[in-house]
Amino acid sequence: TSALLEVVTDIISTVEFNHTGELLATGDKGGRVVIFQREPESKNEPYNQGEYNVYSTFQSHEPEFDYLKSLEIEEKINKIKWLPQQNAAHSLLSTNDKTIKLWKVTERDKRPEGYNLKDEEGKLKDLSTVTSLQVPVLKPMDLMVEVTPRRIFANGHTYHVNSISVNSDCETYMSADDLRINLWHLAITDRSFNIVDIKPANMEDLTEVITASEFHPHHCNLFVYSSSKGSLRLCDMRASALCDKHSKLFEEPEDPSNRSFFSEIISSVSDVKFSHSGRYMLTRDYLTVKVWDLNMETKPIETYQVHDYLRSKLCSLYENDCIFDKFECAWNGSDSVIMTGAYNNFFRMFDRNTKRDVTLEASRESSKPRAILKPRRVCVGGKRRKDDISVDSLDFTKKILHTAWHPTENIIAIAATNNLYIFQDKVNSEMH
Amino acid sequence: MEFRLEAHRIVSISLGKIYSARGQRGGLKLHKNLLVSLVLRSARRVYLGEPGGECALPPRPGPPPPPDCERLRRGCRPLASEAAARGRPECPAESPRKRSAAERDPAAGYPGKKPRREAEQPPPQEDMETGNVASLISIFGSGFSGLLGKERGAAEATEPGQVCCEQPVLRSLNPWSTAIVAF
Repeated sequence: TSALLEVVTDIISTVEFNHTGELLATGDKGGRVVIFQREPESKNEPYNQGEYNVYSTFQSHEPEFDYLKSLEIEEKINKIKWLPQQNAAHSLLSTNDKTIKLWKVTERDKRPEGYNLKDEEGKLKDLSTVTSLQVPVLKPMDLMVEVTPRRIFANGHTYHVNSISVNSDCETYMSADDLRINLWHLAITDRSFNIVDIKPANMEDLTEVITASEFHPHHCNLFVYSSSKGSLRLCDMRASALCDKHSKLFEEPEDPSNRSFFSEIISSVSDVKFSHSGRYMLTRDYLTVKVWDLNMETKPIETYQVHDYLRSKLCSLYENDCIFDKFECAWNGSDSVIMTGAYNNFFRMFDRNTKRDVTLEASRESSKPRAILKPRRVCVGGKRRKDDISVDSLDFTKKILHTAWHPTENIIAIAATNNLYIFQDKVNSEMH
Repeated sequence: MEFRLEAHRIVSISLGKIYSARGQRGGLKLHKNLLVSLVLRSARRVYLGEPGGECALPPRPGPPPPPDCERLRRGCRPLASEAAARGRPECPAESPRKRSAAERDPAAGYPGKKPRREAEQPPPQEDMETGNVASLISIFGSGFSGLLGKERGAAEATEPGQVCCEQPVLRSLNPWSTAIVAF
């Protein structure tokens, strides 16, 4: 079964569950963040159990203008990462191209009443009417969610920030732009440590940029970053202060039979994610998702074709800029299934154990509440079954770039342009 | 020669992208422009029949086509920076993505880099080094023929497909081809 929650906002640019899956945050092109909260399951309304509703909305970033360089800085939220919860409040980091912000999300469900000098509306009382002293008391009120900016990490990046990642030590985090990665302490905003710098002495020698980065989920000294050349570099912060020399380089030689003008573009890694176990890494490039074993640098252990039928259309996709789309990828809680988005509002799931895969669609028609998602198929010539979509009728403006999987349950969040879909699987579904 | 037509088309598209990238909100996207410049370089190599241009194409069955000796005789030479970085690749056996030892280790080629802490005010004057765009734009402004127009002064209306055979174009292209990467 599945349920659907659809919210129309600006174009969604990032989606992230928190560590328990109770909260889901989305960022959009207009700099806004919307947080959803999962309703606690109750026996009274079994059909409403576990649904996500809007919890809070706030403006995270505004457009800025850098007068020195005559550059506008977009307010689009590139990434959101939740901090592990350490007290009653929730905290998250949000970033645009240049500035990272730490937000604290708190609930207020009581307010003090019975002040001596102020009345109910806060106006000063006429002192002659005050004849006795009272002690203010806390009274229940309607739940109010407050979001306040606690830290602003500015001026750390010359180039565009593409990723942030919180360290397992819960004290530090890193931010990566095209050429550099910085390490920050969550409590210190006026300095950061540069830990990777791939800017060449002469920019004319530039051949490669950083595309994504992530800390290892358990080892606080390890992180990985991906490049536009399709390689992954695992770095150990214990080895040296500046981690330009990688500890491990993960790279697969190119298949010469697939070479084209666009080989370099389609090998650029758009996302990298450690598995929950910390043993594997998942990467996404334009046509495939790959699973890498940290113990094997020479090639991925698994490669899955997302939409190989696009290989013959790369020139058109270059022309309409679709070849530059950056798709993300996700693991399920047990690292047995991986998911990524595609075009025509399709998204794909690959079961690593059964080797089965499925294509599903996020659309209003196919997603009525409690309806079952029907697998879709793209036909590439040859026999065409009913309901198949032909490659030429795919809508390339409907792209699913951002997807997220609940940390423990079979709940997924799919961002389709400016709509958010949340699908829940109440029964173990088979991949077919 | 289908691949030459395709190469020409790709060069034109790429130039258009670089040109229009300048007005983008949020500033130049380094990643995208780097990829476009790499495609442009591959396509240009194929189009001009440079040695190494065959690397951008899938291997064809049968004997490889002979290099175009006419262009080579007329004074075209491979770009010095590329020849140094890549040696003379034997095509199509060598994968263009295999790099020399110096390129593999990004730290090795950059002497004098030392670890540094970014202070509260990192050098604010450091910009994205997009100054080379201005010279690029004046060339691209006249489209593909503008690339070749530097040698001949005013841009004449010519069939882009024919021009390459008549001019020692590589010498004039040298500055701009490296300028693209300087995005």
